Amino acid sequence: MSEKLRESLSALMDGEADELELQRVLASIDGDRNLRRAWSRYNAARAVMTGHAIGALELDISEKVSDAIRQQPLAEATAGGPGQRLLRPLASFAIAASVAVVVVLGGRQLAVVNSPGTLAEPVSVAARPSPVGVLNSLGATPVRASYGTQSLPGLQPATRSAYDELARQRMSRYMQQHAEHASLNSPQGLIPFARVTELRE
Amino acid sequence: MFSRHLAIIPLLCAALLASSKLLACPGADREALQWLDRMSHSLRKLSYHGVVTLRQGEELEVMQVWHSVDGSASSGHLARLTGQGGQVSRDDHPLECVHPGQQLLRVGEAMRDGECGLAELYRFSVIESRPVAGRDTVGILVEPRDMYRFGYRLAIDRETGLLLQSETLGNRDKPLENLAFTRVVYEAEQPHAGDAHVLHLAAHPHPRDVSVDFPVQRPWTVTWLPRGFTLTDAPARKSGRRSYTDGLAVFSVFLEDLDRDIRPGEGVVRRGSTTSYTRGRRLSERPVLITVVGEVPVNTARMVADTVRWVQ
Repeated sequence: MSEKLRESLSALMDGEADELELQRVLASIDGDRNLRRAWSRYNAARAVMTGHAIGALELDISEKVSDAIRQQPLAEATAGGPGQRLLRPLASFAIAASVAVVVVLGGRQLAVVNSPGTLAEPVSVAARPSPVGVLNSLGATPVRASYGTQSLPGLQPATRSAYDELARQRMSRYMQQHAEHASLNSPQGLIPFARVTELRE
Repeated sequence: MFSRHLAIIPLLCAALLASSKLLACPGADREALQWLDRMSHSLRKLSYHGVVTLRQGEELEVMQVWHSVDGSASSGHLARLTGQGGQVSRDDHPLECVHPGQQLLRVGEAMRDGECGLAELYRFSVIESRPVAGRDTVGILVEPRDMYRFGYRLAIDRETGLLLQSETLGNRDKPLENLAFTRVVYEAEQPHAGDAHVLHLAAHPHPRDVSVDFPVQRPWTVTWLPRGFTLTDAPARKSGRRSYTDGLAVFSVFLEDLDRDIRPGEGVVRRGSTTSYTRGRRLSERPVLITVVGEVPVNTARMVADTVRWVQ
């Protein structure tokens, strides 16, 4: 791997590469085994750091935390007046509470997703935890309670957001089964497998 | 002299017949459909390797792909170079094994049989196209004739017929996803596979084989499908999954029995051209969760999920 390519790859990983550098790396990666290895290694490391490869549970948290943080200035802006300072810790608590709820939700769901073999056994269909309890727990979300009469700005109704979360988790769970069929019945060959967030063996 | 004239008559008849069939499929661009036919064969019969990028919004996935044909079978491999870095392999896929989606793509054959096939569902036209991965390409614009599927802008290698770029277009031609080769080499010799901590051997679901992905307690069915969609394999009546294709788009329906009641509702997540739509409801007093995952608009997914029924 040439020094120039190494520089381009590094810039790419730091998000500082321009289109030309991107093209340079992409054009060389097919014929350069070392470059390919370096690229894969960097990407795997970055994926682990950002929580992508560890599992969807961590991803849930990071996404929800950043969502909650984005909502914080809104919460503070709407609070206004002399009570503003008093409300601030409440807003933080609400963020922490919403994160905790999501962790529980993600954890329960993923316990199902990540246990291999459960899908193959007929008895386990009835035995595995259904999303019902999860939805109910989210329906009684402590976020709202902590706010009293103040509604948390930007929060969707509990059921809707819980269902969007379910849709996201079902996408992770089913995408690979879907890709088996898409790869044989669309003109893109094996490429539909690139849409699977986390490939399983 | 007279006999020579007579000999021309069958030729004229054949030409008239062919053109009348094309006329019977309004808006069918013959040149575009010929390229589509060629593409469907090239995808399976060419040996090549290269680098492909998948852009979904701001996310960029990079992968290395290779495909080789040896006698009567083909092998394919995909190595993801971004994210988790997993690999997928499909070996010894018989060339004569044609799946429903691949058959639907052969519009020429459908027209010879007097049917319009894909041309009834999409409008195909040849458009200008820039080189892709340094190769001269033919551009094909694919516009859906109804609201149940997406459109595409395809770039096909003018020399080999390989699909080098595919852009999925949503409502008002909004680009949802872009797949493109950044390098392609046509040779049988394949680059060495890198190390992979996850290597998935692709399954081979086929209409000849009855499949059960995971079981549900009662047989079920989907009572409405957008025009032109057909099953990709032969799922058992109690299999929790069904997959459908129209030749260009694929979606799968998943049904889960629930052992407790569920608050009715729906949720949607979209990534690139993929929709995941989940619906909780009671189906003849039994709580179920229905999920549609696929490269179709949300509305299609919702309408399909609405028509899931138990089979008595």
